[in-house]
Amino acid sequence: MFFEIFRFEVAYRLKRPATYLYALILFLFTFLFVIYGSGPASEKTNVNSPYAVSQFVVVLTIFGMLIASAIMGVPVYRDIEHSTKNYFFSFPVTERGYLLGRFFGSFVVLLGIMIVGLLGIAVGSLLGPVFNLADNTERFGPIRFRDYAHPFLLFVVPNMFLVGSIFFGLVAFSRQVFTTYAASILLFIGYLLGSTLASDLDNKRLVNLLDPFGSYAYDNATKYWSPIEQNTLLAPLEGDLLTNRLIWGAVALLIFGLTLFRFSFTRFLAVKLGRKQKGAEEPVLIPSLASLPKPTPVFQTSAYVRQMFRQAGLEFRSIVRDPYFIAILLGAVLFLFLDGWFGSQIYGTPSLPTTYAMLEARNGTFFFFVLIVLIFYTGEVVHRDKSVHYDTIADALPVPDWMNYGAKLLSMLYVCLLLCSLVLVSGVLNQTVKGYFNYEFGLYFRDLLAIGFTQYFQLVMLAFFVHTLVNQKFTGHIVTLAVYIVIWAVPQFAEFGYRLAIPFSGGGVTISDMNGFGHYLTGLFAFRAYWYAFGGLLLVLALWFWNRGSDTAFKARWQLARQRMGRVSIAVFAILLLAFVSMGAWIYTNVSVKNRYYSADEGRERLAGYEKKYSRYRNALQPKITSARVNVDIYPDDFKAVAAGQFVIVNKGDRPIDSLHISMAPDNFHRSLTRFTINGTAPGKVFSDEAMGYTIYRLSKPLNPGDSARMEMAVTGQYVGFANSGNDRDILSNGTFFNVDILPGFGYNGDAELSSDKYRKKYGLPIKEWSLPTQTDPRGLRDFLFTTDANWVTFEGTISTTPDQTAIMPGELLKTWTANGPDGKPRKYFKYKLPGFSDYFFSMCSARYGVKRDKWTGPDGQTVALEIYHQPGHERNLDRFMASMKASLSYYTKNYAPYPYPVLRVLEFPRYASFAQSFPTTVPYSEEFGWVGDFRDPDKTDYAYYVTAHEVAHQWWGHQIMPSRTRGANQISETMAEYSALMVLKQRYGADAMPKFLKYALDQYLRGRSNEDKFEANMLDNDTRSYVWYQKGSMLMYALQDYIGEERVNKAMNDYMKAARFRQEAPFTTSLEWYGFLKAATPDSLRPWLTDNFEKLTLYDNRITKAEAKALGNDRYQVRLYIRSETQYYDKTGKEVSKGKNPVVADIAVLTADSKNKDGLTIKVPLLMQKRSIRPGEQVIDVTVKGKPVKAGIDPYNKLIDRVSDDNLVNVDLL
Amino acid sequence: MQLEIRNLSKTYSNGVHALKDVTLTIPQGMFGLLGPNGAGKSSLMRTIATLQEADSGSITLTDVGGADLNVLTQKDATRRLLGYLPQEFGVYPRVTAEAMLDHIATLKGIANGRERKELVSGLLQKVNLHAVRKKNLGTFSGGMKQRFGIAQALIGNPRLIIVDEPTAGLDPAERNRFHNLLAEIGENTVVILSTHIVEDVTNLCSDMAIICLGEVVAQGNPNDLVADLHGKVWQKFVEKTEIDTYRTMHRVISTQLKGGKTRLHAYSDGPIPGFDAVIPDLEDVYFAKITERMEVTTV
Repeated sequence: MFFEIFRFEVAYRLKRPATYLYALILFLFTFLFVIYGSGPASEKTNVNSPYAVSQFVVVLTIFGMLIASAIMGVPVYRDIEHSTKNYFFSFPVTERGYLLGRFFGSFVVLLGIMIVGLLGIAVGSLLGPVFNLADNTERFGPIRFRDYAHPFLLFVVPNMFLVGSIFFGLVAFSRQVFTTYAASILLFIGYLLGSTLASDLDNKRLVNLLDPFGSYAYDNATKYWSPIEQNTLLAPLEGDLLTNRLIWGAVALLIFGLTLFRFSFTRFLAVKLGRKQKGAEEPVLIPSLASLPKPTPVFQTSAYVRQMFRQAGLEFRSIVRDPYFIAILLGAVLFLFLDGWFGSQIYGTPSLPTTYAMLEARNGTFFFFVLIVLIFYTGEVVHRDKSVHYDTIADALPVPDWMNYGAKLLSMLYVCLLLCSLVLVSGVLNQTVKGYFNYEFGLYFRDLLAIGFTQYFQLVMLAFFVHTLVNQKFTGHIVTLAVYIVIWAVPQFAEFGYRLAIPFSGGGVTISDMNGFGHYLTGLFAFRAYWYAFGGLLLVLALWFWNRGSDTAFKARWQLARQRMGRVSIAVFAILLLAFVSMGAWIYTNVSVKNRYYSADEGRERLAGYEKKYSRYRNALQPKITSARVNVDIYPDDFKAVAAGQFVIVNKGDRPIDSLHISMAPDNFHRSLTRFTINGTAPGKVFSDEAMGYTIYRLSKPLNPGDSARMEMAVTGQYVGFANSGNDRDILSNGTFFNVDILPGFGYNGDAELSSDKYRKKYGLPIKEWSLPTQTDPRGLRDFLFTTDANWVTFEGTISTTPDQTAIMPGELLKTWTANGPDGKPRKYFKYKLPGFSDYFFSMCSARYGVKRDKWTGPDGQTVALEIYHQPGHERNLDRFMASMKASLSYYTKNYAPYPYPVLRVLEFPRYASFAQSFPTTVPYSEEFGWVGDFRDPDKTDYAYYVTAHEVAHQWWGHQIMPSRTRGANQISETMAEYSALMVLKQRYGADAMPKFLKYALDQYLRGRSNEDKFEANMLDNDTRSYVWYQKGSMLMYALQDYIGEERVNKAMNDYMKAARFRQEAPFTTSLEWYGFLKAATPDSLRPWLTDNFEKLTLYDNRITKAEAKALGNDRYQVRLYIRSETQYYDKTGKEVSKGKNPVVADIAVLTADSKNKDGLTIKVPLLMQKRSIRPGEQVIDVTVKGKPVKAGIDPYNKLIDRVSDDNLVNVDLL
Repeated sequence: MQLEIRNLSKTYSNGVHALKDVTLTIPQGMFGLLGPNGAGKSSLMRTIATLQEADSGSITLTDVGGADLNVLTQKDATRRLLGYLPQEFGVYPRVTAEAMLDHIATLKGIANGRERKELVSGLLQKVNLHAVRKKNLGTFSGGMKQRFGIAQALIGNPRLIIVDEPTAGLDPAERNRFHNLLAEIGENTVVILSTHIVEDVTNLCSDMAIICLGEVVAQGNPNDLVADLHGKVWQKFVEKTEIDTYRTMHRVISTQLKGGKTRLHAYSDGPIPGFDAVIPDLEDVYFAKITERMEVTTV
């Protein structure tokens, strides 16, 4: 019996076009993904590496769930849907045979579809090198059967069995295919919730086990693999991955068994009983037909309009009463709420539920639901009359075509409004629950109506057009979906972003508390108008071809269309066409004539071209600026700035300089050099390349070594019109922030070179291993790390802006005044001066600021004025910034060197960029970085405090110690700033609160090296890898101060400061000099550790397998720790080359239960924390502690760079 | 007012020749359109109801307010006069009968709310749906739905009523009620009743046409058509096994089981030996006309 039903089921499935459609979609998806090389992050990892294939397959099973819901839900539902159940079960079939046959028949087909998806990866890998769309043929490794079989058995089979059992069982019991949808949503939510929980590293284990697809467990088992490991290894079936597979396999079997044993035909066949009818109403006197009123019908436009609204209402009610619609909407709201709830987290700390954050939640998973609703319900609306066979009545009614057509369109407009209102409801709810009552309803309405709604409705226009022309619901869905995919996916894959050519593109703008919608709305609305004109054309076409009547043949529709092409509709069409073309012309003028658009490829090509042409000037000797006086005028309302400067330039080289190379890359800020003189006269231009912004001037008199000259230059920059995309943010109505780079620089700009070797090869450039020269390179030693244009400079300047704004530059504010500007309007002027020297790196900011002032007084009586310039309304965390500034000044002046300036400022700039940066005396801080952080939960990282400490530390590391432009130099500024911030944080929150922080650093370092595009460099040579200078650096420096003592490290750094601070003459300091001080401070016993970690690439694998405790009485316990230690050395490609044979010094710890410190922060409480020298391999250590041991382990705070940081602590078994 | 159909032809994109040069004059009053399944009745009806284009020919509604109306091109004007009950139709499932009828009344131009309400209520009573007017149409049985269809076709005092298989799915009592309702329709109205139930036409229509394979094979007054057959239909009771033999010998127009035997009706201008004379009825007319064109086996 089973076999017949099974065979029938398979045959049935194989006859369905949908089966092939699903397979085709999966195939195309995987094939395109692979052939475009959109897989792993590192350029060194093969697109089809076993790691990438497995990762892809896991994700595929999540998509597979959607297919499974369509396939596994219907085998039994089919008998209900087609009413075959009424006779099918009268045949001699057994319940078990029926279920098993139907289940496995469909399941086999489902697996087949998934295999086609896997096939797409394999075929993509095969053809990838041929088509070379990934720009790197070497990234396709061999195609090995096991790379596919492994994830197939590990993920595809169990996951499909799980979701298949769930869907199959739900329908068998509920007899509602609808339940499969609800279940998919729940499973999907489970999966996404995982991603949210996983952002907190402490939840890792939980997430590993909870995720039904095993995706997180796989990710966690493999995330630290180096590129070389990713190319060869398959995930070992152990640990959480194994547990996860076993748990969910068991769940699947349980559900399947339950279905099999509890299913009964009787229940399945039971007739659903409706509610009992009310008793018949009183018989009424039946009127004669003649006695009924005979109103005179009204046929006029106003009546049609009223009819249209009524019909739209009816359509809308039909949609919102559809249970599927309600379910989709519930899912949508749930995701909207969750996205809003968890929002963007920085260092695991949530941000406040600001209105813009609530509004941005609609661009998350919610948008996916929006697309589903818009595609499918537009289809429903367009085809409703036909699908319920009401068309035969409706189409013969005495109404114009546009009445019904307009009503249907209108009802989708209501749906769009409904979707937008969900964002409002979810946002306000989120804000209320979180106790945030600053509801900006005006902002909600403006964003949702002007941007959200217009975005959704333009999608409706497209879907409406496609559905109308296709005139067949299912095909319409598929074609609409295909059109959407082409519109979105192709530009993504092809890195093509020219919005004039991407239908209905133009999403939204970033909303800022400081700058509102900014000046980005013009561009947005221009594109909207352009695409709405286009949409209007589509709608007129659709109206012409609107299928009224029963004949769907093209001939008949063409006949109808001809009749409909009346004078009015042709006029409307012509007007829309005119609007479309003229908007297009206007946009083209803006984005391609007044501004420039380069595709990603063109952009790279330009960089390559610049390098090919001008890198020969790399070593052309240029002078250094030693004094700068600048005048900057900011015109926020005109998006314009004028910067003029008088400079002293000096030839610090050993040969005369006869020409000046000026580099000013052209961009949409339209800068032009309006004045350029040397010693009062304009030098002769001998070469000029305007496209690349490279100009060579000949000096009338060569500048001899040691000679100086006066240089004057003036630059005007302005935004004109609007650009294709992007948040050009140098000048804003409120929140202008740019730096001295607005002025042109000297010589060839090597920082602009393409760094990706993949693209360098493509454009015929040599592989670039290093960006900076070695520590002994004379040229590198002569330059400052952050600019080659200057050495130490003296700085003063005047900055002006509109009278309602405050303009800020580094230095002490000497005076302010108001005067009329060149345009005759009043302006406010501010004069700043930096005492002594600084590096040539100045911020220029202007905004309507609120100010908070305070003062720091040092132990020697030095006072520093502290100022925070902020957006009014962002006062919430000012005390954290202020406290951190004070603590930082105290710590750094005590341990490193004096603070050389009388003022220290933090200031806010709009959230179009998200970073903080340190200029002399001035730290601009992005709006969404700290100002709106929600630090109420003491367990969440106080990154406002931390990042401020980091940026203030740069006032020493980067502004007083200026590294040379050589390899490893970044470690001096960034690693030391990290170290400094860690120390300030430790002082504030205590050493026992640090592990959580260190764990993030460890995680990011290990992830960073696994995504490495070139090779990993050590601490002394690294020139480009931020995961080394931030995360590895902070880990090592924290360990070092823990191992040799904070005092000792600080003493060494104090010595270093004394030796290198404000060093006036080259050679400037290098990583080797810095390392020399650290080395000198390290005792011999720890030298091997120092060498392993700073000079080599070393990872540790410390773990504890078991801990047993015996009570000795009197609250004393003997604890036995079973530990294992291993040191692994890696080469720079990420291959393990050898294991350490020498002992390593690590903490042995016994902890009692976690506790809270005075700030309410959860901290670990050690009963014993002891450094021991531990030899490699397994060993047993006995210790005695006072107090009840709860956990024990080796290196519990993750001071060492441990590959698996979770196995360093275990619970203690009390014997 | 009458409906003139001239040389109407229609071939579907799948090659089916649904209407072949149909010419018909349909006067005021009840007009029956008989024909087997697939004869082209519905195609003709849909064309008159403005739902379908014709390849050639014309349909004219003569003397409407003093002018003629071209149905094929003046669709809007035609629709204003039209009440149409399609053979197959549906409704929005999640709307109540009353709301839907009210809505259709609005679309038929009945703008006055009070009048519309009265009209809807009256029509619902006429088709015996008043008690269930607050129920969603999705819950209606086939017969209830059909009655709803009848009600909507009568909204707005139509002058041209087309009812396509109106009594399908109705029980005998409902069918009677519907016949009575049709009889109530005013004199100055064209009512086209398409059916394959001969009895309906006999009972109701003063004029009729029979169409088969897209062609009009007979038209006129039912009594005249029956009269034409007088003395030409002969009957005999035979065993089932003998039917085929008789078919080869005579023009058998219908066979019907009667009390265990099969009753043959055969067409012949003169008497057939062994056959008895029988007084023909409209059914004999129907079968006689149909069998000229196609094989019909009635058992």
